[in-house]
Amino acid sequence: MTLEKHGENRFVVPIGPQHPALKEPGHFEFVVDGEIVTGASVRLGYVHRGIEKGAEDRTWTQNLYLMERICGICSHIHATAFVQGVEKLAGVEAPPRARAIREIFAELERIHSHMLWLGVAAHEGGFDALFMYSWRDREVVMDMLEMLSGNRVHYSANLIGGVKYDLTPDMMDKIREGLNYLEERLAHYLDVVNNDETFIGRTRGIGTMTREQAQLLGAVGPTARASNFAYDVRVDAPYAAYAEFPVEMVVAQEGDLHARFVVRILETMESIRVLRRIFENMPESELVTRVPRRIPAGETISRVEAPRGELFYFIASGGGEKPERVKVRTPSLCNWGTVITLAVGHKLADMPMILAGIDPCFSCNDRLVMVKRNRQDPQVWTWADLRNYGIEYYR
Amino acid sequence: MNLTIHPLIVLLFFPGGLFLLASGLVFQWADRKLVARFQNRVGPRFLQPLADVLKLLAKEEIIPEGAHRGLFVALPIIALAAALTAALYVPMFGVQPFFSFQGDLIVTIYLLSALTISLGLAGANSVDRFSLVGATRTLTQLFSYEAPFLLAVIGPALAAQSWQISKINAYAGETTWFIVAQPIGFLVALVGLMGKLELPPFDAPEAETEIVAGALTEYSGRGFALFRLSKDIELVIGLTLVAAFYLGGIANPLDFVLKTGGLLLVMALLQTAFARLRIDQTVGLWWRVGALMGLVQILAILAGIYIRQWWL
Amino acid sequence: MSIGSMIEDLIKSLFKKPVTRQYPFERQPAPERFRGKLHWDPEKCTGCQLCVKDCPANAIELIVIDKVNKRFVMRYHQDRCIYCSQCVVSCRFKCLELSDEEWEQAVTNKKPLEVYYGKDEDIRFLMERAAAQPVESPCE
Repeated sequence: MTLEKHGENRFVVPIGPQHPALKEPGHFEFVVDGEIVTGASVRLGYVHRGIEKGAEDRTWTQNLYLMERICGICSHIHATAFVQGVEKLAGVEAPPRARAIREIFAELERIHSHMLWLGVAAHEGGFDALFMYSWRDREVVMDMLEMLSGNRVHYSANLIGGVKYDLTPDMMDKIREGLNYLEERLAHYLDVVNNDETFIGRTRGIGTMTREQAQLLGAVGPTARASNFAYDVRVDAPYAAYAEFPVEMVVAQEGDLHARFVVRILETMESIRVLRRIFENMPESELVTRVPRRIPAGETISRVEAPRGELFYFIASGGGEKPERVKVRTPSLCNWGTVITLAVGHKLADMPMILAGIDPCFSCNDRLVMVKRNRQDPQVWTWADLRNYGIEYYR
Repeated sequence: MNLTIHPLIVLLFFPGGLFLLASGLVFQWADRKLVARFQNRVGPRFLQPLADVLKLLAKEEIIPEGAHRGLFVALPIIALAAALTAALYVPMFGVQPFFSFQGDLIVTIYLLSALTISLGLAGANSVDRFSLVGATRTLTQLFSYEAPFLLAVIGPALAAQSWQISKINAYAGETTWFIVAQPIGFLVALVGLMGKLELPPFDAPEAETEIVAGALTEYSGRGFALFRLSKDIELVIGLTLVAAFYLGGIANPLDFVLKTGGLLLVMALLQTAFARLRIDQTVGLWWRVGALMGLVQILAILAGIYIRQWWL
Repeated sequence: MSIGSMIEDLIKSLFKKPVTRQYPFERQPAPERFRGKLHWDPEKCTGCQLCVKDCPANAIELIVIDKVNKRFVMRYHQDRCIYCSQCVVSCRFKCLELSDEEWEQAVTNKKPLEVYYGKDEDIRFLMERAAAQPVESPCE
């Protein structure tokens, strides 16, 4: 079939917004020649929720929970990034124990996120056994998080100036026990990823990205680290308690899908090690410091390492109870360029795995982009304009 | 076992027709349940496959714009008919095949291929990108597994000196199991069967993460139900054929249940243990390894036959 | 290099019970810190309205009948609540609590999700007042 719309003789395979490969809405068009992909494009924006604008209408405390809801998988890290920015503006620092607990939540979240990804990526490659097993074992982390905070997904552990939940020694013992089991299982999955012939056939040499490409395309997180681009906010600009309890950066040389699997699994094991270290030397202090309801005027940026890469917040305060502007740059957004570039030249069958390889989070991506197209004034769109635009677009 | 039943009953109820359809659903359930248990899951309930089929039959069938209407409706029927006909030459449920003649092995294999071809045609006929890619892959896969599978099935036929399934079945029951004498052939036949049924890891033609449902993407309602039923029946026939040839023949219903069940267990394990192969990897595997192994087996059998003749 | 590295797991699983918890038939208690339905103790409340201010979902309304005699009624919109427990943290008099037992809260209509807390006579008073007045506009 040809797409007359493009006026060319091209066979385009669309993936999304509804497609079994992606459980979240995003639209990709792959131009194929037989099974070989010769061009790729991406269109995002199906779940735009106007969170940045919404933040301007809520108090600092209320925003904490709004930011948590940008992403379901890395909810804690979003709130942490926001809360750290606000604390910086207010000129306070969370007590040491609170910072350690933030790190504990962040690392537990990383474990659950990476295990979720492991399953999804294996499923995209048709390896359902690994998918089912990694998700089964992920339940162990989910149970830990539920025990700590009462919730499986939105832990809401952060407060401005500290955290809500304390860890009892009893809980630490339970978590240690779970971590032992997880470490054993992860070692086994690493073995499967490294040695299974059929799986290696689908991952090794697929979607290879060089260090230069990673730098040029602005890749972040495990995607970049798998291409030997050593950059991790936890190491380069420690926040929370990462200065006291440092993590070791995991990098790989190859830059292909297989390296991304290895980097993520090793990172998970590193998280387990750092958690054990925190439990041994848990600092003693109160959990919250007082922060005024009105945050002094100023601007700040806050960076954290989300499971998918560097998460960046810009926060501006006008000195009131509400922020003046909050700008969020999520890691998935930085990594899309790599997908579009790497897709070309690969087989159609590799597309889902390359897509999943960056661990995309679609809800994190949604921005409204205005494209100047035959319009005099692109700044103000009335309801009628938007409606017409929509009708025109889908005609 | 040898029964004499009225041909109409044979065609409509036992062992053709209804009974065959029911056994197809049971095998589908067993396969899904086993895969689920291998993955530490619960799996579907016993009546789930039946419920699926009934639901699909009750649903509206949507014929996509631009597709050839007649062909779109006819292809699922042809597929099911081919599968049901093929069953008549195979010792289903341990009962002697009701129609049998010299060379029915070739006919059966052709009928099973007809199913795959109608699947490919159905994909090419429905005007859809996913269907077209799926159809291309289905037919590519057909060309890759067919030759090794045929070579693997010919092995016991050569040894039994017959092209008649019932005779090979009887012969297999008398001698040592062919799995011992021709282990390579058994392996190729079993894996070839998985390729034929498009089971993982050979499910590139219907890889849902890439091309939705492959050739059947545009099928809904009745057409989809018929295609699924014919695949289920193909599963039963394939298992019966391999069990009859390599596992010492099928002489009675108990034999049938035990042997096909055992084969299904192995197949379910193989289904879950691997990552999906890309279509180029599938083709490479079959022609570089499968066909070669099949040929080696055939040569070994021929050599064996000559040596025995020379010996005697 | 090996083929089928997971076969051992698979075969072991065949002889194990599936890990799936068949929820409505097999129930597990919620963890101690579970955040379920909100409960309010009218005795301790001073009517400072902090919980109302901090609630990110506008799920709490504190209706003041008589501030001096501490007559308050809390209207809790459970359908809006996101169970973040910010109100519990904000309350300086510990009169709010999220239940760890009431967590199967799905209903087919929204009526029971609007909950009134307070002394009986206060709620009755409020209802009578609402009935006497023309339809009160829903607070958004």
